Amino acid sequence: MSLRENELKGEPPCHTNSLSNYLWSDPPDEHKWADCVHCGLCLEACPTYEQTGQEQHSPRGRVHLIKSVAEGKLVVDDDFADPVFVCLDCRACTTACPADVDVGGLIEEARGQVRQAMPLKGWKGMTSKFLLEGLFPHQSRLHSLGSLLAFYQKSGLQKVVRKTGLINMMPKHLVEMEAIMPAIGIPVQKKYKEQKVIKAKGETKREVAMLTGCIMDIMFSDINQSTINVLTKNGNDVSIPKNQTCCGALHVHAGDREMGRKLAKQNIEAFKDAEKVITNAAGCGCMLKEYPELFREEPEWHEKAEEFAQKVEDISKYLYDTGYEKPKVELNTRITYHDACHLAHGQGVREQPRDLLINIPGVEMVHMPNADRCCGSAGVYNITNPEMAGAVLESKMKNVPEDVEMISMGNPGCMLQMAVGVEKYGRNQKIVHTVQLLDWAYQKEENERGNNGEKGFAND
Amino acid sequence: MAKKGLQTTDKDIINLAKIVGEKEILFKKADLLAYDCDGFTIHKHLPKAVVFPNSTKEVAEVVKYCDLNQLPFLARGAGTGLSGGAIPLNGEVIISLVKMKRLLSVDLENRRAVVEPGFVNLKLTNSIADKGYYYAPDPSSQYACTIGGNVAENAGGAHCLKYGVTTNHILGLEVVLPSGEIIDISTNGVLDLPGYDLLGLLTGSEGTLGIVTKITVRILKNPEAKQTVLAYFDKVEDGSQAVSDIISSGIVPAALEMMDKTAIEGVEAAAFPVGHPKDIEALLLIEVDGISVGITEQIKQILEVCKKRNVREVKVAQSEEERGRWWANRKTGFGAMGAISPDYLVQDGVIPRSRLPEVLARINKISEESGLRIANIFHAGDGNLHPLVLFDARKSGEIEKALAAGSECLRVCADVGGTITGEHGVGIEKREEMRFVFTEREIAAQTDIRDVFNPKNLLNAGKLFPSPGRCVEVKKEMKNARETFV
Repeated sequence: MSLRENELKGEPPCHTNSLSNYLWSDPPDEHKWADCVHCGLCLEACPTYEQTGQEQHSPRGRVHLIKSVAEGKLVVDDDFADPVFVCLDCRACTTACPADVDVGGLIEEARGQVRQAMPLKGWKGMTSKFLLEGLFPHQSRLHSLGSLLAFYQKSGLQKVVRKTGLINMMPKHLVEMEAIMPAIGIPVQKKYKEQKVIKAKGETKREVAMLTGCIMDIMFSDINQSTINVLTKNGNDVSIPKNQTCCGALHVHAGDREMGRKLAKQNIEAFKDAEKVITNAAGCGCMLKEYPELFREEPEWHEKAEEFAQKVEDISKYLYDTGYEKPKVELNTRITYHDACHLAHGQGVREQPRDLLINIPGVEMVHMPNADRCCGSAGVYNITNPEMAGAVLESKMKNVPEDVEMISMGNPGCMLQMAVGVEKYGRNQKIVHTVQLLDWAYQKEENERGNNGEKGFAND
Repeated sequence: MAKKGLQTTDKDIINLAKIVGEKEILFKKADLLAYDCDGFTIHKHLPKAVVFPNSTKEVAEVVKYCDLNQLPFLARGAGTGLSGGAIPLNGEVIISLVKMKRLLSVDLENRRAVVEPGFVNLKLTNSIADKGYYYAPDPSSQYACTIGGNVAENAGGAHCLKYGVTTNHILGLEVVLPSGEIIDISTNGVLDLPGYDLLGLLTGSEGTLGIVTKITVRILKNPEAKQTVLAYFDKVEDGSQAVSDIISSGIVPAALEMMDKTAIEGVEAAAFPVGHPKDIEALLLIEVDGISVGITEQIKQILEVCKKRNVREVKVAQSEEERGRWWANRKTGFGAMGAISPDYLVQDGVIPRSRLPEVLARINKISEESGLRIANIFHAGDGNLHPLVLFDARKSGEIEKALAAGSECLRVCADVGGTITGEHGVGIEKREEMRFVFTEREIAAQTDIRDVFNPKNLLNAGKLFPSPGRCVEVKKEMKNARETFV
């Protein structure tokens, strides 16, 4: 055999050219994997590598496989889809990586290819279509669902379902989730429907627009209310643009980038006139900041998305940066803080929420080891990959200090998952959002001021 | 994730799965591809399978099966090795030891700990830090690399200048021999045992003599005090001279690291920038530790030496946080090259310290002639150079050029009386270069020893020693590439 033949038969170490097995538009970006030199410093940062010890379930392994498809060594099939979808998309690898490789971006692009090559079929496909296309993007349907859930809780039906064992018809992980479902309140979208701007208390210093989120406004409308309260308390006029929609993070995580783009465009338009877009959900905030990624092939929208992304800010960072009033009354409680992946790894927001919390008098903060380790929620990962999500949650719960009363965090997905953890492992912590604690402190302050005033009056 | 039974008819896979369990074996192509290389990415080859044993017994059974059925096999830890020691060149069965990651015992009184091979280096220090102890060998990959892998490669690290490399910290090993027999070569702390020094032989044997399944390591008490200095130089010569001056003044720093201009460009463009000036030619990171008394005096001396050698700026870390940032910047240096180049090849030569300026000048020349940038990060204190040859594998011919340039760097090291590896091992990468420092007879003496332990050469064959056959093409290309610029 001649040398040339040898060369042809042997596998060249790395030549991409036209061998790529990515057949659809918007494929994984070569420049992203070109940054990876395979050093392996990401391994220990990865929760799924921690669980499996397997290279294909590590960031480096996934990048290697994504690159291998482009090199024609692998095709987009089930075997490739497995490592790509087992990723929690927690971005811990991005923090660990010396070369700033955008693993998260590559994973999402690869998922886009997988979903186009192999559309989901059967009940999985139907559930996904129902949730991602039929429900989350539609405010009115979400509100109806909210009312339905509120009815389920308040009518006594919830009790009946739980007591009769009817609930056990659901898979175990869904039963666990049902058990911790928060009390459903009125969405702020509905509540402030007639109000163009919710005015600041006192002098207006700044104007902001708020993303209410899809799940957030149904399951956690009280957190949205708290967010409005702390914003107005600190001199912000808050507007809630009507045409806003779901941020699209769940769609993009699931590989439906087309729907992601559609929602992104709608949000970019809805917030066109806003100077600041405030989010209180880490996952949404991260997605909004990454809108430009979705428009790599649409220059005009890419530019708009870049401009939009600049305006997006997490509530804790916004308050920290613009200055906020420190509460004056004591909330006597011991808490710990969990870093939501999409806040810490995704947006680099770590210090700001902690600052907000420790500046509340009487709040004692206990350090949680590995606070920025994923809890396993990861959007809807805990529903699609319950086994892995459960394992990741178990190791998270081991790190929650015993002697705290509350676990604070900045993402609704984490809140649900951590609530499952508390329930499942017989713990008793209350799960709270960072702004809730701040809001409670402000409220207590106002109540006391009110009481003192009355007292003063009585004493006269 | 969930596998519904083994979807294969391969009898070896079925039999190996019986030993480790169906969930603990990989054999599908997509999964195997993730194991086709380690931290050395120039050669790639698919393994036959990857197994994840959970105990010494399972390792021994897998090894026995392979031995009986003539299946080549090798051990793998985190796969962070830089010389290709864990690459399955012959389609090996990879025995991944990452599931064996327990810390078995810590004996503070006798200052030792027992770990399984998959235990991550940094985790050992983290688990004993609160008691005031640490594990000294600190390779830059310590966030991820396993102690089993450290034993195989006799890994070093920034602090081996004062504390020695892995072999100086190993007190005992349990080893599965290539026949599947289990031996225990622990010293129980006795420094000079009768008979051959098997611990010394096994440590750094690059996985060619046996598979380590349990390791007793020495742990040290944290030094009472620690100070770190950062110095910027306008000329490499001044920096090198400062290194020599510090050592000859009688100070033994815990670490004495150097980075050149290209390396600084890389780390500053990456995830852990410190804010080093871009226009300096060299920086030194110097750390002294020990009892508090005397540290201040040593720092004073170091500052004086730097000033005498025309330092542009020199400063002492003012907090643990600042020190941490300087080290993170240095320790992620290799990976950081990804920020300025798609691929890199790291070399690992050792030279007499006094020849540093001359060697750097010659490496510069190699860089110019090959047309490839070469960054230099090194443990200057002990003369352990890491030239990082930057290249783009997508460009035709660049791999060969990079290999040739790397090889030339090693030739320079050997020429000035040094050697071809300080801590990364020979693996696949430097097999040929073994000839720079050993005669045929000296190499044969070593392969004879290998044959005693590994008579069928099923365990990690084709590593560590030059052998004809494989990769002939690359070598030829290398030779051609070298001829074009040398």
